Amino acid sequence: MTDARTRVLVIEDELPMRRFLRATLASHGYDVVLAASAAEGVAMATQHQPDVVLLDLGLPDADGLALTQQIREWSQVPILVVSARGREDDKVQALDAGADDYLTKPFGVNELLARLRAALRRSAGIEASSGVLVVGALEVDVPRHVVRVRGEPVHLTPIEFRLLLVLAKHAGRVLTHRQILQEVWGPNAGSQNQYLRVYMTHLRRKLEVDPARPKLLLNEPGVGYRLDDSGA
Amino acid sequence: MVPVVAAAALAGALGDIVDLSDVAMMLLVAIAAVAMTLGRGPSIAAAFLAVGLLDFFFVLPFFTFKVNDLRYLVTFAVMICAAVLIGSLAERLARLAGEAEAARVRAETEELRSSILSSVSHDLRSPIGVVLGAATTLLDERTLLAPDQRTELTATIRDEASRLARLVSNLLDMSRVDAPGLEVVAEWVPVEELVGAALSRLDARLSAREVIIRVPSTVLVLVDPVLFDLVLVNLLENVLKHTPEGSPIEIDARSSADAVTIDVADRGPGIPRGSEARVFEKFVRAGGATGGVGLGLAICRGIARAHGGTITASNREGEGAVFRVTLPLRGEPPVPPIEASVE
Repeated sequence: MTDARTRVLVIEDELPMRRFLRATLASHGYDVVLAASAAEGVAMATQHQPDVVLLDLGLPDADGLALTQQIREWSQVPILVVSARGREDDKVQALDAGADDYLTKPFGVNELLARLRAALRRSAGIEASSGVLVVGALEVDVPRHVVRVRGEPVHLTPIEFRLLLVLAKHAGRVLTHRQILQEVWGPNAGSQNQYLRVYMTHLRRKLEVDPARPKLLLNEPGVGYRLDDSGA
Repeated sequence: MVPVVAAAALAGALGDIVDLSDVAMMLLVAIAAVAMTLGRGPSIAAAFLAVGLLDFFFVLPFFTFKVNDLRYLVTFAVMICAAVLIGSLAERLARLAGEAEAARVRAETEELRSSILSSVSHDLRSPIGVVLGAATTLLDERTLLAPDQRTELTATIRDEASRLARLVSNLLDMSRVDAPGLEVVAEWVPVEELVGAALSRLDARLSAREVIIRVPSTVLVLVDPVLFDLVLVNLLENVLKHTPEGSPIEIDARSSADAVTIDVADRGPGIPRGSEARVFEKFVRAGGATGGVGLGLAICRGIARAHGGTITASNREGEGAVFRVTLPLRGEPPVPPIEASVE
């Protein structure tokens, strides 16, 4: 590989959208590879080894969900799925199948670039599950079970701590309710489903300056929760 | 059958004052009454009952179904024929009335559809026209444009395209909310979380506004979070559209024994007196506001109703409007088990 630029594979069937994405991403220094169908996308993914994949969920020849699963069989490349508002179920399915994040059409350039950077940062980042996780104003000392926000220590219950830890480990990335439940409670998560939102409000009370205008623990209706690291 | 029996009883009570032909007439009136209200089948049954009663009680020999004078068979036949005729007529009349009603509804729907079409096509056409025009000017090599004019045209394209995007998503939301069998997947959600999500979605447009939030974290509602998000976003967008830049927005939530109310209030010009209910109608735009199709509040109402709730608008003391969503409180919100705190 002679090119050190970050390579983005765009799998998108609409020509104007491909044009826009190629121009925008190229002008921001990305090396862009385009695919117009799912079949072409798989071929490109194996051939070009992209650093991140931007995948439209409305492809004509295969659904994006199947494609996500197919790519996940052999690659851990970050996948950002793109779909319209009102298709929250599609996004949740794709995220549960291993996609890393999503964008809702129509999206702005800044949002696109921020999501790409976040996905790349995570894939390059430390897979830290021990040590101290720092997300913006938040510090999670994993071995000592100590949490600080804006320098101040915060007392969390065991469940709140585990919940925060899961979100902090995947900072910047949206996690579906199912993913959070499984990571926090494991196979017995079923009965906890109804409490998740309540625990999240408890966490916001303890961590946010204004819990009704959260800057850290963001709720994405119909999809899941995200610990925002863009302010980091 | 009651009118027939009543007529026969009346005739019996009147005794000698009436003769047999009067009795037959009275029964005929009763048959007609049955025919008009219930149609042909019941009217024929009524006719047979009438014939039976007439024969048994009024025709010699009394208290038997025998008939001595064949003339009465003609009376019986006339009664049955009248029943069939009047019954058929009544049914046809009912059918015609039904068709007329259907035609009226069709005409109204048609009228609504054409007003929707003209409203929507105007609102879609105007931004499309601007985008096309600006892009053409930018591409035309013969036009000499100063750099700041280029920037201005490009910004216009961006703004108009986002206006189009808002219009289209409003139309899609409305058709989703209007669709028969709108699926409401309700779960207990803290109102604080719903408000937080709506506010962060509008973050950029709210930057110049003071938002005063009085939402206790303990207030939970049983709603479809995706649909209810649309209610809050549309209410807030409505405030942004109709109130002066920089004026404050207030969000309140309260729960009582049987309902949760959520208020979105502003300090704008308020709602024209008498329009408090009309603002929730489709394609109604208050105060000549531009930039919308007039669907936001209709979407709110549709979703509130789908949850068994209501939405109202009123003017505040002093200045401004308040929009209140009331949702019935059904069942108990979940309370997680208490756990020990860690050090």
